[in-house]
Amino acid sequence: MSDSGSPGAATAGARLDSFSYDDVVVRKFLWATIIWGLVGFLMGLIVAIQMAFPAFNLAPWFAFGRLRPLHTNAVIFAFAGNAIFTGLYYSTQRLLKARMFSDTLSKVHFWGWQAIIVSAALTLPFGFTQAKEYAELEWPIDIAIAIVWVIFAVNVIGTLVRRRERHIYVAIWFYIASIITVAILHIFNNLVIPAGPLKSYSIYAGVQDAFMQWWYGHNAVAFFLTTPFLGLMYYFMPKAAEGPVFSYRLSIVHFWTLVFMYIWAGPHHLHYTALPEWASTLGMLFSVMLWAPSWGGMINGLLTLRGAWHKVIDDPVLKFMVVAITGYGMATFEGPMLSVKSVNALAHYTDWIVAHVHTGALSWNGFLTFGMIYWLAPRLFQAPLFSKKLAEAHFWIASFGIILYVVAIYSAGVTQGLMWRAFDETGRLAYPDFVETVARLVPMYWVRVAGGSLYIVGAILFAYNIFRTWKARPVTYEVPVVKAPPLARVSAPPAHAPAPVPAGAWARFVSLGWHRKWEGLPITFTVLTTVAVVVASLFEIIPTFLIKSNVPTIASVKPLTPLELAGRDLYIREGCFNCHSQMVRPFRYETERYGDYSKPGESVYEHPFLWGSRRIGPDLAREGGKYPDLWHVRHFENPRAISPKSIMPAYRHLLTNEMDFDGIQARVDAMVMLGVPYGEAVTGAPAMARRQAAEVAASIVQGGGESGFESKEIVAMIAYMQRLGRDAQQVVLGTNAAKHVHVDSVAPARAPAAPGGSR
Amino acid sequence: MSLTELMSNAGLSRYAEVALLLFFFAFVIIVWRVFSPSRKQLLERQARLPLDDDHASPSRPSAE
Repeated sequence: MSDSGSPGAATAGARLDSFSYDDVVVRKFLWATIIWGLVGFLMGLIVAIQMAFPAFNLAPWFAFGRLRPLHTNAVIFAFAGNAIFTGLYYSTQRLLKARMFSDTLSKVHFWGWQAIIVSAALTLPFGFTQAKEYAELEWPIDIAIAIVWVIFAVNVIGTLVRRRERHIYVAIWFYIASIITVAILHIFNNLVIPAGPLKSYSIYAGVQDAFMQWWYGHNAVAFFLTTPFLGLMYYFMPKAAEGPVFSYRLSIVHFWTLVFMYIWAGPHHLHYTALPEWASTLGMLFSVMLWAPSWGGMINGLLTLRGAWHKVIDDPVLKFMVVAITGYGMATFEGPMLSVKSVNALAHYTDWIVAHVHTGALSWNGFLTFGMIYWLAPRLFQAPLFSKKLAEAHFWIASFGIILYVVAIYSAGVTQGLMWRAFDETGRLAYPDFVETVARLVPMYWVRVAGGSLYIVGAILFAYNIFRTWKARPVTYEVPVVKAPPLARVSAPPAHAPAPVPAGAWARFVSLGWHRKWEGLPITFTVLTTVAVVVASLFEIIPTFLIKSNVPTIASVKPLTPLELAGRDLYIREGCFNCHSQMVRPFRYETERYGDYSKPGESVYEHPFLWGSRRIGPDLAREGGKYPDLWHVRHFENPRAISPKSIMPAYRHLLTNEMDFDGIQARVDAMVMLGVPYGEAVTGAPAMARRQAAEVAASIVQGGGESGFESKEIVAMIAYMQRLGRDAQQVVLGTNAAKHVHVDSVAPARAPAAPGGSR
Repeated sequence: MSLTELMSNAGLSRYAEVALLLFFFAFVIIVWRVFSPSRKQLLERQARLPLDDDHASPSRPSAE
């Protein structure tokens, strides 16, 4: 320790290295953060308007189902991602007293990441998606992400190796854990079998896929939106407050507790689904335990301002940070609460979750980023901030925007959750028509549009303020030369705290230098963090893979026919899973509304699973046979012609787009590679699909509809819709009716006459 | 033989409890070490690391 820290402490005669920090890449990331932030927020506003005003779904590529993933990817990976890199590249160099390992790697990281963002914007609106939340990007882009991420990791770890500061400050621990864990999450959740240049199927199916996805999804929140930002907090908060963090000890405990616990909590996203109960309970317990470290961290952040609260009045940087940390506290209070099963039963599939996410994203990630950039801009552009008043205006406008947003959407969530479970005095559903529970929310959706708009107005002021600050920059930036002694090979004991030689082996063990050495070894540290994360992940996930009894098979569940598979791919392309779940929970108010609850064995061929996470429209797990084929044609053509209050986009293009029958074979082949027993379809999928398409088209004509649909996409979509839940129904019939249904002959039994009413 | 069958027969269920114990003891050791009085001074100095770079060394400007 004594040979580093402040260079002044260097022993006389020690050689001093001269070096400078690479702020060029920091400035680049800063601009990327601002630009992608504006894009991501704007996408959010667009999808918010689409929910309040469905006619705003202007084109197939401009519909909610395709733009919602673009919004989430843009704000998470483009805005928050670039914000992380901005702060990480700035603070890591300074904390380690070393320039980044390689300027070239920094540049490749920057441009590679931006190229990935652009490729997301060029694929998601056109329906190329893996259908897994926050992991929508298709396999070639996933490979690019993995490569760029490894480059980033090498750059950071290389810098650690070359550092001139013995001790690695806690912020860097958070960065390393994030880098490692995100790599593991990304790789394992995106293992797929390609079925085309931009089409793939997850190697996992049903319950296992759901488990992988929410292990990923939850930890993407943890290790992309939480731990890296905590690293930023532990660096920039002391900077802005001009004093050390309240308790460094607490920050260390905070770190290890999060690393140990976060990774276990994923199953709370799947309560009351077909997930095994033990897994769900485990997820709940670990989530509730997370309360402690999260609040410890929040308190630690806020108390860093002890004795400096008066500064908050004048300093917009501190204002943003205080609200950010408070937002972290609120979101991490609410997260464990939502993971409690009984609370989750009400909140799951509703806007409550959306409100929860936005509390965290708008305040914690957004405000911490704004605060950090307001602090960084004058230093990076070497000019005073253009306008403190404008920054204050940004703060108040954005804060008011957040309040409007979350209050409206919390009430929307609770309202809809209560309406779904309400029974009248005769014991029947009080709101049997799903659309009633949607129509009730539309006014709140307009309030969200207003709140989101305010947040964007604030962000525009922010961008303008930073732009004007940049305009006032000097002709050439000064690049200060820093001097620090190189790191000695072996860590010396603290010079001014000479420890007495402890008696006994145990005392030596707990107090001697082994741990200082251990901390000083970045590779060892990285490996141990990885072990903690991997071991926890394995013990959470492997049991569903290794204990057969966890997924009881159902004999009547067969693979989809080739046409239905093609229809399922259309369902994925249009992003239907963003608004429709396929998972009936075992509650009376669910089974009354939708039908029998979903079983794990039903989704054994579901690559990927499509259980969904939000019901903007009704659950579709039992949709097959509810309505005749013609009803679906009319409904896809114009949902409001059937159900005037529906907010579903129209899918007229399904009625006119030609069906690509010949492309089906490659998809069936990919499914066969995954072990789905396709039988006859292995050789003749297109012919089988054409036969079934003709049957569906004939049924449309029979019902009084137009002819000529047998070559259009709509027949595949309808075939899929009519198949949903049919296999499970046969379990009930199975005792006295056909026990074995041939996959080839499964054209679902035609539904009875139209029930007529809206839904 | 599928992965599921392979793993089902491997008899690994004990390892979950072992992992829990290992994690718990690792955590106890970390907390103990962090709060041991002998490390107070060291940690206090480390807490100031982010504030160090402001006055790191005499700097001399050069063009970028």
